Amino acid sequence: MKEILVIAEHRQGELRDITMEILGLANQLAQAHGLSVTGVFLGADASPFSQTLARTCDRILVVEDPGLDNYNADPYLLVLAQIISQQQPYLTLLGHTAMGMDLAPALSARLAIPLVTDCVGLAFPRDCLEASRQVYGGKVNALLRMKPSSQYLATIRPGSFSVDLAQDKTATVEKLPSPSWEGLKGRRFLGYLEPEVEDVDISEADILVSIGRGIGKPENIPVAEAFAEAIGATLSCSRPVADKGWLPKSRQVGTSGKTVRPKVYIALGISGAFQHQAGMKNSGTIIAVNKDPKAPIFKVAHYGIVADLFQVLPMLTEKFKKS
Amino acid sequence: MIPHRPMFWHIEYVWLFYVLAAVAGGLFLAGVAAHVWVWKRAARYFRIPFSQKAVKKTLVDALLGRRVFQGNMAAGAMHFLLFWGFLVLFIGTLLLAAHHYVHPFLIGSLYLGFSMAMEIGGAMLMLGLLWAIFRRYIQRIPRLETTKEDALVVAWLVLVVLSGFVVEGLRMAFQHPQWGGWSFVGNCIGNLLTISASESLYPYLWWVHTLLALGFIAVIPFTKLFHLIGAPASLYVQNTPKTPLAPEDETVETLDLADLVFFDACMRCGRCVEVCPSAGVGEPFAPRDFVQAMRLRLWMEYSPFGDVRFLSRGHEKKMAERIWYCTTCRACLEVCPIYGATFEAIRKMRAVAIEEGTQVPQILIQTLDKLYRYNNPWEASKKKRAAWAKELDLVDLTKTEKETELCYFVGCTTSFDTRAQEIARSFSWILQKAGINFGILGKKEPCCGDIARRVGEIGLFHEQVDACLKLFSNYGIEHVVTSSPHCFHTFQNEYPEAPFKARHYTQVLHDLIVQRKMEFEKKLEVTVTYHDPCYLGRYNRIFDEPREVIRAIPGIRLVEMAHHGPDSLCCGGGGGRMWQEDLDGETKMSEIRIKEAHATGAQILITACPLCLIMLEDARKTSGLEEELRVMDLNELVAEAMGKGNNI
Amino acid sequence: MNIVVCIKQVPEVTDAELEITKDGTDIDKEDLEMSINEWDNYAVEEAVRIKEAHGGKVTVVTLGDEDAEDVLRRALAMGADEAILIDEEDFEGSDAVGIAKGLYAAVKDLDFDLLFTGVQSSDDAWGQVGLLMAEWLELPFASLAVKIELGQGKALVQRELEANTLEQVELPLPAAVTIQTGINEPRYVSIMGIRKVRNIEIQQRTAGDLGLSDMEIGEQGSHVAQRRLSLPEEGEGAEILTGSLDEICERAAQIIRDRGGVA
Repeated sequence: MKEILVIAEHRQGELRDITMEILGLANQLAQAHGLSVTGVFLGADASPFSQTLARTCDRILVVEDPGLDNYNADPYLLVLAQIISQQQPYLTLLGHTAMGMDLAPALSARLAIPLVTDCVGLAFPRDCLEASRQVYGGKVNALLRMKPSSQYLATIRPGSFSVDLAQDKTATVEKLPSPSWEGLKGRRFLGYLEPEVEDVDISEADILVSIGRGIGKPENIPVAEAFAEAIGATLSCSRPVADKGWLPKSRQVGTSGKTVRPKVYIALGISGAFQHQAGMKNSGTIIAVNKDPKAPIFKVAHYGIVADLFQVLPMLTEKFKKS
Repeated sequence: MIPHRPMFWHIEYVWLFYVLAAVAGGLFLAGVAAHVWVWKRAARYFRIPFSQKAVKKTLVDALLGRRVFQGNMAAGAMHFLLFWGFLVLFIGTLLLAAHHYVHPFLIGSLYLGFSMAMEIGGAMLMLGLLWAIFRRYIQRIPRLETTKEDALVVAWLVLVVLSGFVVEGLRMAFQHPQWGGWSFVGNCIGNLLTISASESLYPYLWWVHTLLALGFIAVIPFTKLFHLIGAPASLYVQNTPKTPLAPEDETVETLDLADLVFFDACMRCGRCVEVCPSAGVGEPFAPRDFVQAMRLRLWMEYSPFGDVRFLSRGHEKKMAERIWYCTTCRACLEVCPIYGATFEAIRKMRAVAIEEGTQVPQILIQTLDKLYRYNNPWEASKKKRAAWAKELDLVDLTKTEKETELCYFVGCTTSFDTRAQEIARSFSWILQKAGINFGILGKKEPCCGDIARRVGEIGLFHEQVDACLKLFSNYGIEHVVTSSPHCFHTFQNEYPEAPFKARHYTQVLHDLIVQRKMEFEKKLEVTVTYHDPCYLGRYNRIFDEPREVIRAIPGIRLVEMAHHGPDSLCCGGGGGRMWQEDLDGETKMSEIRIKEAHATGAQILITACPLCLIMLEDARKTSGLEEELRVMDLNELVAEAMGKGNNI
Repeated sequence: MNIVVCIKQVPEVTDAELEITKDGTDIDKEDLEMSINEWDNYAVEEAVRIKEAHGGKVTVVTLGDEDAEDVLRRALAMGADEAILIDEEDFEGSDAVGIAKGLYAAVKDLDFDLLFTGVQSSDDAWGQVGLLMAEWLELPFASLAVKIELGQGKALVQRELEANTLEQVELPLPAAVTIQTGINEPRYVSIMGIRKVRNIEIQQRTAGDLGLSDMEIGEQGSHVAQRRLSLPEEGEGAEILTGSLDEICERAAQIIRDRGGVA
């Protein structure tokens, strides 16, 4: 049976979500086309993850070696090239992540396997791979039909597929020996660097309540904060608010602040100048509240409320307190 | 005995005097030469053309001190005393030298007149100095600094004058000349002293006075006193015709002689700081700081001895990032007694930064990129430029053979900004109503190049110039009317000799009123106030036409803000600031201005520039004045009165 | 410290309204402005900064038509020393591998310590070219660089990982690095600056010069059989919620609950 190989990704002792997302996709394809799913784990110690992986794979290949504890293209490339040459899987999947982006092209070159990157969809309509991607900064969708090949490589965009927890397989675990470390190019992993401490990273939030000039004065911010708290959101702002120092600059959304893509972005009293729009227009759902019906924010928002935010906020906050 | 004055009375070692005089003179000349040396090395071109007009202006301004009086009678009077006191004493000393070495003539009544004149001179100088001390150290006028150099210079001169009078007094106390009354000050002092004291003390005091006086002369070029030479030089050079930078000239536009002389002649009087809108809202910029920093930098770079102003070292302020604050509003030139155009020097330093590339603010890079690709600094699209005219049925001069009497050059901001588009709609409506045959350039309209020029991107400016000239020539456009005073100013004053005439729309509206082509259907019973845009008012002295247009509207009552006409406060949008919001601090210039408008009690603030319109509309919101005051362009007001819309 | 930077000229699409060509294989580029790929601009700036600090030579290479000379000139105006243009004829229909093959052939005989490319290009966003080249050139590599420091024959590279974390890796030189946006602040290139470098000769190469056969590049060499582009469904601007204030808030709350996963 043809195999789909899924390269598991872990960092600092945790299995990254993308692995489960890819496994979800792999199992979908496997069911549809009668393929088997093989997970591949490279690291120092597979035991913390083997149970999770075992549930969603038919087979797991494990290479344990201290040199693989932290991702490093050099040894990973060596090991994976060997595994893929031996196993000859039909499709090998990685996440389009810092690891996948780094590893996949070199793998593709070393093994001369065609690679499609940053896929948001994969299918085998006939017997070649068809990949869905986005090009031109997400403004255009591309459907690529690859030429027939015995093997394919693909990286998957995080967040495109759901984690599949329903599987209850019991994979066989095969421990493969570490290869002889010959032909390494000398890249060394030195360590992780924690970023500078910010009070909050707004780009991580699922819901953002964002305030603009319409808030009027800093004394009014608590009203917005209360609302944010009621719905479990993080407070962010447009430029003028950060400039005036009413909120720290780390909360600013826009071209000179942060670009965010939360599930829900609620813009309060923000006019929506293009610099701000650029920072939030790809949010999942955008709700804008503004007195001015002509405010540019209404062009980029999905839902609009033309009203005084100080009338809307208290009532809206109440709706969440009830439940 | 015939009135006269014996030279070197009671003084021995007279030869020493000549030696000291030579040394002092030598140092003075060396100092001046050092300045000329630096100017020669640093200036783009070292050329001093002869201009009769400049000579005249220099003499008048220097002798009357006109610019110092402007807006400040006390300062003018004080400076007059200092200037003339010093000049009289200086000329008197020269006459004395001529009398002694060439041919004696200061005898008799001529001598008496001479004596009196010298006394008056000395008294004037002393009075001026005391007044200066009073202003700087007791009144503590904010713009006057109190550095070591300021204290030393004034104290030194006070001692020179004082010692001079004391020495004279001593001499008169001994000599008791009959004509003593003509030297009234010395006479007074003389009467207070005894003869025995005077004789023995006299030579010592004479040498003290001599040393102080000669020392003073020697030190002139090494302190801010250089302005004795520098100021007249600056007055002259600033008033000679400037050499515009030719498009083929590949050198970067850097400082020229006028700038360098200005920097060295700057007395740090601080009038520019008083009127600078950026300094006024607490931004880390002031014209004086820039000038002094540049002066220091140039000396450090071009002088083999470093900065010769030994007392002002260490005044360097970080100017590299701060050159982007200037809005080029020209308020500094309006008040600078030596016609220093700080904003022009800033523009040249911006050109240097643009060439070098790494000190240019990122936000400006994006703006210039748009300008380069899409002919406007606002949006990445050429197509949308004519969107405002979609339903208006206007003549597109690039698509028609029709002859028109004028071309309405809408401008980038008016074309793309939703608020400013009203200017274009209103003006077009007015022209149509008045039966004027006009057209627009539609999508093909390029940028006039103003922002490129202000920000220092000369290459891009010349590209826009070429594009505009080519377009005008292709479509036979000879008469251009602009929405923006910036476009108007650039076309009128900064384009090379071109066969087209440029006007601003306020001039056209004014003409229509004078020619009675404008009919007002409505009476607007409102109180309005008018904001003079920098590029219309200060730059091009168009103050009256817009006001006459306003006054022609029936029912209107026009009140003036505290700062109006040449004093108008900049809205903060010029000089590239419109696209650099990150420079704004807690208070914005536009907020100061809108509050001033509000203080007049006017219901509407009228502007005549799209940048001003946007800035002031914004400020109206951030200052919480939305309910109290409206901001309108003059076109909107006039159109309303002519029966257009439903605004008021 | 000699550095080779591979750059690409791409259409400016951020504010443009895009249209797909009739056959669906590409976008209509007629009204679009072309400029240097944003990532590559950072790469050129980084290379020039390293040269300014350590000495050496910066060579920029691109694969494109004669208009692509613009991006080479800009790079020269920023401080690059030499420029190579690979004629895109014969490369039409290439995928990332074909393009990388062309660039690889052009640079493999050059003497360099560092090879830079941007992480990806803003048009196709494959993110492959730099790393394919690294593998064929047998160079150690690192992608997503946000900081580079040079030591004794080594490069210390900080890579941008997810969740605001960075990792530090060390590469012996010569090495290949793909550059992430934000690594520096690219300098401004003035019109005059571009004029000043207009006389520097741009070296020309063709697929023939580089010894590349049709099998390796172009449509034949591409792994993509067919590409179909389409525009995502367009929204019409916000749906304005109507009704009483209470009704509006109720509806908004519902939306927030549904889309935000709020209880």
